[in-house]
Formats: sequence, structure tokens, C-alpha cells
Amino acid sequence: MVKKLLTIVLATAISLIASSQTKTAVTSKQAKITDEINLSPSDIELFKEQTKQKVEEFQQYIVTLGNKNEPAEKRNMAEKEALKLFYNGAQMEITTIKPDGSIQKINRPMEKYLARLKSLPFTKVIIKFYDIAYISEFTKGPDGKYYSTATIIQEFTGFTNDEIVYKDVTKKEVEIIVDLVEDKFFNEKRWKIFLGDIKATETKSTETETKSTVLK
Amino acid sequence: MTLIPVPGRLVALIFFLLLVAKNNNCYSQTIVKQENQNEKNFLVRTKQFNEFVDRFNYKVNFHGDSADSEFKSKIPRDKLINSLFDLKDPRVDPNNERYSKKYVDEKTEFISEMILKNLSINKHSGKIIAEARSRVLLKGTPHVISIFLSQEVSGNNTVKWVINDVKGDLFNFFKSDTSLVRFIPPSSNETDFLNLKRALDDTDHLQYYSSKDYCPDYLSVFYYMINSKLIQFEYTEEIIYHIIDIPGWFIKVKEFNRNEMNSGWLITDIGKNTFDKFNYLKNN
Repeated sequence: MVKKLLTIVLATAISLIASSQTKTAVTSKQAKITDEINLSPSDIELFKEQTKQKVEEFQQYIVTLGNKNEPAEKRNMAEKEALKLFYNGAQMEITTIKPDGSIQKINRPMEKYLARLKSLPFTKVIIKFYDIAYISEFTKGPDGKYYSTATIIQEFTGFTNDEIVYKDVTKKEVEIIVDLVEDKFFNEKRWKIFLGDIKATETKSTETETKSTVLK
Repeated sequence: MTLIPVPGRLVALIFFLLLVAKNNNCYSQTIVKQENQNEKNFLVRTKQFNEFVDRFNYKVNFHGDSADSEFKSKIPRDKLINSLFDLKDPRVDPNNERYSKKYVDEKTEFISEMILKNLSINKHSGKIIAEARSRVLLKGTPHVISIFLSQEVSGNNTVKWVINDVKGDLFNFFKSDTSLVRFIPPSSNETDFLNLKRALDDTDHLQYYSSKDYCPDYLSVFYYMINSKLIQFEYTEEIIYHIIDIPGWFIKVKEFNRNEMNSGWLITDIGKNTFDKFNYLKNN
């Protein structure tokens, strides 16, 4: 009986080790394949263009989901669609410079950030994006994906009964990832642009500092 | 290479755009197109370190497009490089008590040399060192340490950042004391190093029992502390780039977060440098 039990335990252990080895082997094999696929300079130019569109799409969703005048259905859809632009596990890091010069950083999963943006305690919100988006060159990472960063500037104004109670300008650095993903519909692999982590830094606060906590 | 959204997503996007079009009349929010002063400031601001390098190398204009002859005729390279310095540095203000003629002369010499020799920074150079001033918790108490990273390019042109070194008061756990001569006596080997117990109990001064060539490897200490959960990494507070890619010089670049044109990633210090990467890290 003990011998039988030991055999089962041993077999389970061997299968566990084997499965973890297989996973590692598959990962390195995949990395090797993507390593051999390179984007041409014209492809990269095209991706730079498409990144601009993707970033604009994100900005439009932000504007919509922050707008209290829009129907709930449309704001919910904007939230859902905005999330689809992101890589799984993307985070938003918000940096605030306190009056004493010290820095405060808060990290939130993107879904939580978007949900909070939708439910800010203002009667009216105006979000404007400046027509500036700087996108750095794409660089290939050891995993075969291409990486870049886009910078966008957002002006946020929060009202309570037509009175401005909060205003800030934030600079957002958005990580851009171009990944080779399987398109099940066409049954082939395609390069796709995703947004990744975002680092947001408040650059100018023109209204009451204490109210800024609502955005964190 | 093609880029086609999956059908489900396309349908959702069309539906969303239809909703946008339908409700367009009640729009109180927009993506602003007209220029205001803030926007002008942000346009000139060096928004990313990447952009800093491109501007330094005279590769792009303020819109991030290729610097053409028209742009170059309007803004000569020496003026562009000068605009990449922190112009609020008290060392360049003759009316400030911290004004330094030495620094101003060095700055002028630096800019002239860049123009004369047409020098540029290699964006993926291993001699660009990023100092990530980071907040860590040691037994619940916050400490600031510097983590030094540089880029590593592999044979197939893939790039990654790697950790080179770490510094911080946290790692200076040895204390100096010259009142006693600390050593393991010459005959200790014959007593199976019974003195080792005594030496290793002297926990604050272990360095005195080491070879004269002993140099603590703080990175391994840091990895051990992280691994054993003695310290927890919280976040990076600030980045300072040390560029030693240009022969004979070091450049320090950091982000100035202010709402004016001379802002963003700017040169905070320059100077003569003769160190290689290893010795630069050791001496800074």
C-alpha cells in the first residue's frame, strides 16, 4: 500500500517537473521564432502612424467616459473599449508633487483607474487633450516585441455647480507594445498595437490642492 | 504585414462611433486643436529622454519630425544644444551668488566641441547610465537608494535595460573605528581559526578582517536583501541620466517639471570625464 502511494507521489512529481520544463521550452522556442521576425523600417513608420491613431482613440474614450453629460450606456462602452486597447495587467501610476516638494505615487490597475475616472465626484468634468503626441522610435526587446513610448498632455477641469473646484495639467507617458498575436478569425499571426503601463505626472495645479485626492 | 482589428472589436468600434456621432450635439469635451500658451510650452518641452537625445543629435524639430534644412537655418545646433541645458541653473546667472565662470566656460567649450567635431549620443549606448533614485522599505522605514541601469544590445539588435549597481546609505552598515587594531592573528590556522568566532561577532567592523583589496559588492547585498524580504521596493522617485558616451565628457540629464519652455529633460550638469563606466560608477 505504502509502495503504491509512493509510486503515485513520485509519478505526480515527475509529471509536474516535466510540465514546467515543457512550458519553459515552449517559451524559449516562441522567443526564438519572434526573435527571427523583424519589422522593416517602412513597417515601423506605419506602426508609428497607427500608434497615433490608437492614442487618439484612447484620448477620445477618456473624454467620453469622463463626460457626465453623456448617457451611461455610452460611457460604459467607452470604458470597455478603452480597456481593450491595453495589454493585460497594464497599470496607471500617478505622481503628485506635494506643496512641500515631496513626491507621492499611486499605482492602480488600468480597469480601476478608468472606473474611478467615470465616477468622479464632480457635477461636470472637462477633459482636454493638447494636440501634441510625441512618439519615440520603436525598439525591439529580447522577447521579439517592439516597444515605444507616447507622450500626451491632458488638461482636467472638475466643476461643482458650474464652479471650478479642481484643475490640473498632467503629462502622460504611455508605453506602446507591438506584439505578434494569433488572429483566430483569419487563422494567422498579425502584428498588433497595444497600450501598456501609463505614467501620469501632474505638471501644474491651479486650484485647491486638497481636492486633488479625488483623482487618485 | 497587416493590421486589421478582429471583427467583434470592429463592430463594437463602429457602434461606439455611431453613438458618438448621434450624441455629438451634447459634447462639452473635445480634443483641443487650437494652441494656447500651455500647449506651446509642452511643444518645446523635452518630453522624453528619447526626444532629448534626438534634439541633442540635431535629428528632430520641436514636432518630433526630421530636422530639415528650414528648421536648421532657423535654429543652429549650438542654440538647440544650449536650449537643452537647465537655463535656471544659478551657475549660469551672473546675478546669482552661485554663478560659476568655470561652469559657463566649460559649457561653452562643450557646445563648441559638439559642433566642431559633429559629436552625437548613441541612443542605445551602454555608456548611458540611468540612475533610478528609488524608495525602498527596510523593516517598514522608507529609505532612498540609487539603482544604476544601462542598456544592453544583443547581436540581433534587441535592447534591454540591465542593473549595474546600487548605492545608498542603507548599504553602509559597516562602522569605522581606528581605536583598535582588528585582525585574525598569524597563528590562528594552528588553532583551527578559533579567532573566527571572535572576528565574526564584531558585526559592525567586519571589513577590517578582510583583505586590503576587499570591495563590497552592494548589488549582491541588495539582491540578497530583496530575496530575503529584508527590504521591499516601492517606486522610483526620480531618474538622472549620466551620459559618458561622448569622449572626454560626462553629461547629467534630469526632468524639470515646470510649466515653461525650458522644461522637461534637460542637462543639469556637465564636466570633464576620464573614467570608464566601471570607474565612473565607483566614483560617483
